[in-house]
Amino acid sequence: MRQLSKSKELWIFIILIVLSALISARSSVFLRPDNLIDLLKNNAVLGIMALGMTLIIITGGIDVSVGAVVAVLTVIIGKFMVTLGGNLFLVFLVAVGSGVLLGLFNGALIAFANIPPIVVTLGSMSIINGLMLYYTNGAWISNIPSWFIDFGQITLFKFTDTAGNTVGVPIQIFIFLAMVLLTWALLKYTLVGRAVYAIGGNLVSARRVGINIARTLIFVYAYMGFLAGVAAVTHTSIMRQVDPNAFLGFELQVIAAVVLGGASLTGGTGSIIGTVFGVLFMAVLNNGLILTHIPTFWQKIIVGLIIILAVSFDVLQRKRMEKSLPKIDVEN
Amino acid sequence: MSEKPFLQLKNISKTFPGVKALDKVQLEILPGEVHALVGENGAGKSTLIKILSGVEKPDPGAEILIDGHPVNIRQPLDANQQGIAVIYQDFSLFPNLTVAENISFGKEISQGRRLVNWNENRETATKTLEELGIELDLHLPLERLPVAKQQLVAIARALAFKARLIIMDEPTSSLSRGEVENLFNIIRSLTQKGIAILFVSHRLQELFTIADRFTVLRDGKYIGTYRKEELNEERLISLMVGRKIDFVRQSRSSRGPVLLEVKSITKKGHFKDISFTLHRGEILGLTGLVGAGRTEVAQALFGLTVPEEGEIILEGVKVNIRSPEEAMGLGIAYIPEGRQREGLVLRQPVAQNISVTMLRKLRSKLGLLDAESERRLVEEYMEALDIRPRLPQMLAMQLSGGNQQKVVLAKWLATRPKILIIDEPTNGIDVGAKAEIHKLLRRLAEEGMGIIMISSELPEILAVSDRILVMRRGRLVGEFTSEEATQEKIMNRAFMGAPAGLRPKRGLQGDRG
Repeated sequence: MRQLSKSKELWIFIILIVLSALISARSSVFLRPDNLIDLLKNNAVLGIMALGMTLIIITGGIDVSVGAVVAVLTVIIGKFMVTLGGNLFLVFLVAVGSGVLLGLFNGALIAFANIPPIVVTLGSMSIINGLMLYYTNGAWISNIPSWFIDFGQITLFKFTDTAGNTVGVPIQIFIFLAMVLLTWALLKYTLVGRAVYAIGGNLVSARRVGINIARTLIFVYAYMGFLAGVAAVTHTSIMRQVDPNAFLGFELQVIAAVVLGGASLTGGTGSIIGTVFGVLFMAVLNNGLILTHIPTFWQKIIVGLIIILAVSFDVLQRKRMEKSLPKIDVEN
Repeated sequence: MSEKPFLQLKNISKTFPGVKALDKVQLEILPGEVHALVGENGAGKSTLIKILSGVEKPDPGAEILIDGHPVNIRQPLDANQQGIAVIYQDFSLFPNLTVAENISFGKEISQGRRLVNWNENRETATKTLEELGIELDLHLPLERLPVAKQQLVAIARALAFKARLIIMDEPTSSLSRGEVENLFNIIRSLTQKGIAILFVSHRLQELFTIADRFTVLRDGKYIGTYRKEELNEERLISLMVGRKIDFVRQSRSSRGPVLLEVKSITKKGHFKDISFTLHRGEILGLTGLVGAGRTEVAQALFGLTVPEEGEIILEGVKVNIRSPEEAMGLGIAYIPEGRQREGLVLRQPVAQNISVTMLRKLRSKLGLLDAESERRLVEEYMEALDIRPRLPQMLAMQLSGGNQQKVVLAKWLATRPKILIIDEPTNGIDVGAKAEIHKLLRRLAEEGMGIIMISSELPEILAVSDRILVMRRGRLVGEFTSEEATQEKIMNRAFMGAPAGLRPKRGLQGDRG
């Protein structure tokens, strides 16, 4: 599957390039550095979340609570900063800590109670959304302290583009890149990462070879919670206020990005590089539609079509392979 | 072969609710020997393997000694660390990972590592493959390899974590003859290094080629361990069979005209050249080892698979059965194995489970379900089959296994079939209920139905059938009347096939059917 998924990743890369070429032919703004940097910055949160979702989908699971989780984490750190102040380190700690706790809750139910991931995470999504509504009444949290807003405006590698504007690379993009590297290394160089692939590839074999299935699954959902914490800080640093409803339906975008990146919902395949391409595709498509004045609901339609195509391709491939396996050896 | 045993099992019992799968079994394996573990279906071989590999725990009192020291095997990891590796029939590899990773995974895990060293992985894989004298592309995803090569990867994985005993469960079942030869050469080279092999197989000829010693299990009990020189195929089979017959032989009903004629149906990879007839009022027993293709033949008669060649003639008319709906329309009913999973809606009342096949006929003029007719139908069948307690509103899951099976029967009998195909009808139900089901089947035959009963339980086959067909590896290898059949005769055919003179001509094309 490695080589096949490589070609899957290649496909989404090619589609990405073609799409970018089409857009830049119709809009001169698209390839401008400030536009590309904006595009990356605005999708850093989607990207960070998609990394965690990649791991979950490789194990053959799914997490539909990620929108609710990241939303409640923004509310938590918003309230924390407004009422207690604190500092950047503490904000990260609170976000990541609460995220991991929520992830552990999902993971433990999935691993020990053996409830299907979609049921567990649907349930926790509903609980979290309900509690959040009760607590905030849907009200926004503004007056975020200035030290946090300053953090969100940090840019590095400033340069002057051809039009004479000074542009820098915002901190959010670096956070995203750091998470990409971390998750990539985790999947490639730790035994837990390899266990993620093994569980998705063949659960029974994974158990027989001595992998601790429960621990691996709990880790994966907790890691998703960790990334949701990082994403919550990143999001708040961009928006400078907290809208409890900002992430309604966000889980679908996250899952879409991962599936576009070549991960199979039946588990076993998927890669970080593929997911990054998937996120870029969603980002470029959205940006391109805006620049070329096409209504953005087309993004949803196009993404939906591509997902159905990608998944049917998967299913067909699997069926063909199952057919080719001999069942019993008939004596001639 | 050295004299000090690598592994000794003593007093191994395993009780599952209601069944004693193993009863004080022992086993001793010497370094460098090929030890065959043999027995009929259900003799306890798989349970013993599961205990050795840490998947199941034995009952208290069991002793497992490695190099003379008692050890505990509580989980698969323990078995691996003790140098025991299992190559399951399905290999238990990871289709999505590369050859190199599949080989080194077990080793890494049994070492309790946290980080992956890819260079070391490749070296491990290269070294073990060299040891085995085979060449494979290390970076290829496993699922791209043919089955025989995947098996070699599984063996390499066992070698990689220094296994001293490799258990092979039916290792030749999906290999061609050339591939089997190749596997045996590899096994011989492993034993020269002092690695012991526990070889589980139904193919006696192969066992006599490769094994040094045999341990025989029967009905979960230890029968004995024998050196190859002490045995021949006939003697081995007579050791394996001889289960107690705990059923009364049924009186036979008179056989009516031919109901069904099957003429050399073939489905590639499943069964080949199957011909038989079924009469009205007859119970035809279809037996053979698990995986011999019995269920596949039944499924072909019910339209679940469509044979590529051959004819099915029902009451003198050639028919094409392409779907279960068509089969039901022709008056064929099929009750699959595993009634809980496939035959019943456990969380629904008995009444609805029975009437589900008849919903079309129970419609009132308005097209709605006629509750009164449904009630009458359900009562009729609960009475006829003596389903207890006679409470139509009870949930199916609350009934005993025997009564559940009767509900499944009722559901199909309500369609008034001419032919009933029933797969392992009494699997997992107690002896008294078994006898009741047997009587019921006989009564149905007396009423003129033709019944095909698939079963692995020889006592059941002998007690119930009028005629007995034996399948082996996708072929029919024997037909007996109930008078001439014995357990030994059936097992001889099931294990070794038809006698040479009766054997159909061999094709010249490859090994795979």
